[in-house]
Amino acid sequence: RHEFSMEMTCEGCSNAATRVLTKAGGTDIVTDLASKKVLVTSDKSSDELLEILKKTGKAITYVGPVN
Amino acid sequence: SAQVRISVEGMTCKSCVRNIEEHVGKQDGVQSVEVSLEDKEALICYEKAKTSATALRDLIDDMGFEASLVL
Ligand SMILES: [Cu+2]
Ligand SMILES: [Cu+2]
Repeated sequence: RHEFSMEMTCEGCSNAATRVLTKAGGTDIVTDLASKKVLVTSDKSSDELLEILKKTGKAITYVGPVN
Repeated sequence: SAQVRISVEGMTCKSCVRNIEEHVGKQDGVQSVEVSLEDKEALICYEKAKTSATALRDLIDDMGFEASLVL
């Protein structure tokens, strides 16, 4: 399970993050606008997920693995 | 130069519009991009030699907005 920090300003942003991660086969996706957190469970590596999230056009960084 | 109209679902506010306009506007071959929140549409002018309607559709879709070509 991975945690990312993503610049999200509205529902459109958080929905976009959820949508691209779902499309990439991610599960258990949690987004939180206030804390800018994105959590996802995936078989993909954190680098691959970072590339997918970067395509949203938003500033995004990898925080680390979470349980 | 060519023009494509793309239906864009999922935008909620002006900042979504700006994000798409800036991101698409940066792509090689894109000459102009106008996004309407009300019409849920993007109107893009581009150079055929450098990009295509489907590539631009995929670009917006990869941004997390459901995008489809309007014929
Ligand atoms: Cu937003
Ligand atoms: Cu928005």
